Amino acid sequence: MNLQLDDFWSFYEWFFRPGAFLESAALKGIVLAVLGVVLGLVVGYVISSSRYGSGEGFFAVARAVRDLFRFDLPGTRIRRIFALARLAFKEAVRRKVLYVVGLFVVLLLLAGWYLNPQSDDPARLYISFVLTATNYLVLALALFISAFSLPEDIKNKTLYTIVTKPVRATEIVLGRMLGFVAMGTVILIPMGLLSYVFVTRGLDHTHAEVADVRELASGGFEGETDYTRFHSHHFELNEAGEGVTDMVRGHRHVVIRKEDGSFRVGPAEGALRARVPSYGSLVFRDRSGNLQEEGIDVGNERLAGGYGSAGISRLIGVSRGTRKIEHGYVEGGGLGTAEYTFSGVTADRYGDSIPVDLSLRAYRSYKGNIEKGIRGSITMKHPSKPIESNPIGFTVNEYEVDQKFLPLEIEGTNGNKTEVLNVFEDLVDEKGRMTIVVRCLDDSQYLGMTPASVYLRPTDHSFAWNLAKAYMSIWLQMTMVTAFGVMFSTFLTGPVAMVATAVCVLLGFSAEQVYDTRHYIDAGIERGGGPIESMVRLLKQDAMTTQLDVDTVAAKVIKTADAGIVYTLDAIATALPNLPKMVNTAEFAASGFDIFGAILARHAVATLGYVLLAFLISYFTLKAREIAA
Amino acid sequence: MDTDNSTAVAETSEDTSPTTAKSSDSVVIETRNLSKIYRDFWGRKKVHALKSLDIEVRPGEIFGLLGPNGSGKSTTIKLILGLLFPTSGRVLVFDQDASETQKNERIGYLPEESYLYKFLTAEETLDFYGRLFDLSAADRRDRVKQLIEMVGLQGAKHRQLKEYSKGMTRRVGLAQALINDPDLVLLDEPTTGLDPIGTREMKDLILGLRDRGKTVLLCSHQLADVQDVCDRVAILHQGELKELGRVSDLLKVQDVTEVHATGLDDAAKAEIAEVIARHGGSVQSIDNPTATMEDLFLNIVRESEARPGARRVSQAAETKDASNGSTSDGDQA
Repeated sequence: MNLQLDDFWSFYEWFFRPGAFLESAALKGIVLAVLGVVLGLVVGYVISSSRYGSGEGFFAVARAVRDLFRFDLPGTRIRRIFALARLAFKEAVRRKVLYVVGLFVVLLLLAGWYLNPQSDDPARLYISFVLTATNYLVLALALFISAFSLPEDIKNKTLYTIVTKPVRATEIVLGRMLGFVAMGTVILIPMGLLSYVFVTRGLDHTHAEVADVRELASGGFEGETDYTRFHSHHFELNEAGEGVTDMVRGHRHVVIRKEDGSFRVGPAEGALRARVPSYGSLVFRDRSGNLQEEGIDVGNERLAGGYGSAGISRLIGVSRGTRKIEHGYVEGGGLGTAEYTFSGVTADRYGDSIPVDLSLRAYRSYKGNIEKGIRGSITMKHPSKPIESNPIGFTVNEYEVDQKFLPLEIEGTNGNKTEVLNVFEDLVDEKGRMTIVVRCLDDSQYLGMTPASVYLRPTDHSFAWNLAKAYMSIWLQMTMVTAFGVMFSTFLTGPVAMVATAVCVLLGFSAEQVYDTRHYIDAGIERGGGPIESMVRLLKQDAMTTQLDVDTVAAKVIKTADAGIVYTLDAIATALPNLPKMVNTAEFAASGFDIFGAILARHAVATLGYVLLAFLISYFTLKAREIAA
Repeated sequence: MDTDNSTAVAETSEDTSPTTAKSSDSVVIETRNLSKIYRDFWGRKKVHALKSLDIEVRPGEIFGLLGPNGSGKSTTIKLILGLLFPTSGRVLVFDQDASETQKNERIGYLPEESYLYKFLTAEETLDFYGRLFDLSAADRRDRVKQLIEMVGLQGAKHRQLKEYSKGMTRRVGLAQALINDPDLVLLDEPTTGLDPIGTREMKDLILGLRDRGKTVLLCSHQLADVQDVCDRVAILHQGELKELGRVSDLLKVQDVTEVHATGLDDAAKAEIAEVIARHGGSVQSIDNPTATMEDLFLNIVRESEARPGARRVSQAAETKDASNGSTSDGDQA
């Protein structure tokens, strides 16, 4: 899992972006609100002046705004919202929406057909399967029930009997949203429970037999488990006959030698987890030992992507270019290092060792010894004083999280002396910080890392809670889609409202691609251009990196039109919720990382903001609409 | 944007001033110069559904809107309810603009067809509508029970409305309109889909509402029903008000005198004009014969079709007439 810049932000940093307010979510919210108000007033004025004439149109708009604050908001009653929500809920139930849960069960039952049993990381496979399935099912469902209900009510004229009761437009909108969200919740809860059972049961296994057991000289044992579910483990036991197997496919087993000499292999452990990482700040040193902000770029690492975190500042052109965090590389053989400085390294957070996880990449500039991985070392170092431990060597395990435990007592150098160092006393400074230095040991080979590649792991959270958080994220997405669906359904017919909502969802998902295109247009890079240009290239069968091969005037027209389209799309995509980021929480759960509270809180606040916006738009359109027309 | 049509000041400025002084109890519904033009998506005029309608509905009366299909009856009701916005003119209900939600606290509406949620049972339906009003849970339960009994659906209250016959749905619709014990009841074609017994019951119910001091506005093309229950009617044709007045007055044939007498011998009969004037047999009634509603209606429609837009009702004279007559005359009997 490659974390991006904005994943590290705390809620406060995300909301206010101290020092870079243009990128902040607060600004985005404000701009959206202001734009919403201005657009609303303009559209409202155009509509009402066409209805009543230009002068009266102005008063009509003013009155609509006044009505909201003077009558409709104060007149809104929870009782009626609940009554309408109950109705929406019942409607969904009687429409047999709950069958979706049944569909989900069928999906799980048939999962064996498409889940590869020989996968190296079954936990990721299972978790991302259940979360993806849930996510798409629930979003599709939210799309359907929210977009069709209100237009259906208008078409069947059932809304006549509602609006002729003392029901306010606010209540109709909120009632719908609430009812459908309640429905979604009722569907999500069993799905979550089923997913939990499916994943835990699916990964649970043991090995009945052991093989090739030999007694070690030290009095312990070593051996192999049997080959079950396409894998086996190697284990070593101590003299007391207790031990664990090695990690295979993300899990291991406890092995105990019983008194009668037989071996008992316990259930799989460690497959389902929620690591709580403690990240550090990263700096690099080049081969001469000079400090660098970034590591060496070994290739096409950061061509595109990562624009989203720049918010408004990217849209208005203040910040340009990609901000994607990619691997920076450290050269072996010289003085090149990567230095992570961690804070909060205190004795009370860590037990008898400091767990550190590495997920590094290797880049070979020559083939070298292909049998062996690239070697590296980690050194614990005092952040400011010249005290450091002896290096601990490792061989890179690419595409896997390599779990290490740093000892609390280790030999090292203090100035010029060599002595046994205590980590907390000698290597950690008074603020609780410690630096970990990563080096590449093979000459002219490279180790790649991001700020998220090396982290300390003080604790793990429970997997169940993490899965629950992933489901909360799905719930938030569902709420957002429901709000959009209801909003569109106040002025469009059912199918059109559904398509409009779907377009919003899809545009939200592909926002980065739109930003990409915009970036290339801004930077003058030939990358196929906007929609018209790429169509021309397709027809002419031109490559996307060549100059557009049409005459100058035509090229100018095409490029200008394209820029217009792409800028518009860009503005819309920026205004839409960042759905890929929300879906990405599934990736956290699948990779075995605790979903950061800050990320969930951000999603929750963003959802609330968009729901509010959708609510206001819905209110005004519903209010302006002739129900019986 | 807004439904409120005090906007159409240009057209209605003259009318606006006097009404503000009016107390809320003198008029329940007032339409002023009310017009509605249906437009298509591009704003082109499709139908001029209602042309400058001025009517007043007073408290405690049963007011009928009469007219052939497409005459603007339903449009009028929808404008009164705020389901449509007037193109010009305005509607006041309880002295509030029709777009005010607040007025609905005192209104009950039975739509043309009962537009109800088919997936709810009768009891759930009434309970749902009850929840939209400020009723305590106990009151709501009582009212639901009482209304279900009133419309005679005790046996079917747990069945979903999709299993109901048209007449039964109609009854639920009526019960739904009365859930808040409204002061003003608007009934759009109340008797369609009802059998003769149901129709009779509906009429009795409407009269019962009036007896309890409620105001009823109904629109219908069932002439007999209108004749039976309405105090006053307005006849619409092609969006124009063609006739407005008390049912009894409208049906009076002014230039004919009808005499019912008994106990006169043949000689007396021959001299009947004198006899009545001088001899005086026992005259049982001397009155204008009444036509049926049907005659009146068809006459108006034919005339209107022959000379579109020609017939105009002088509203002021008519209403004054009616209001003077209504209390003292007692010619209803």
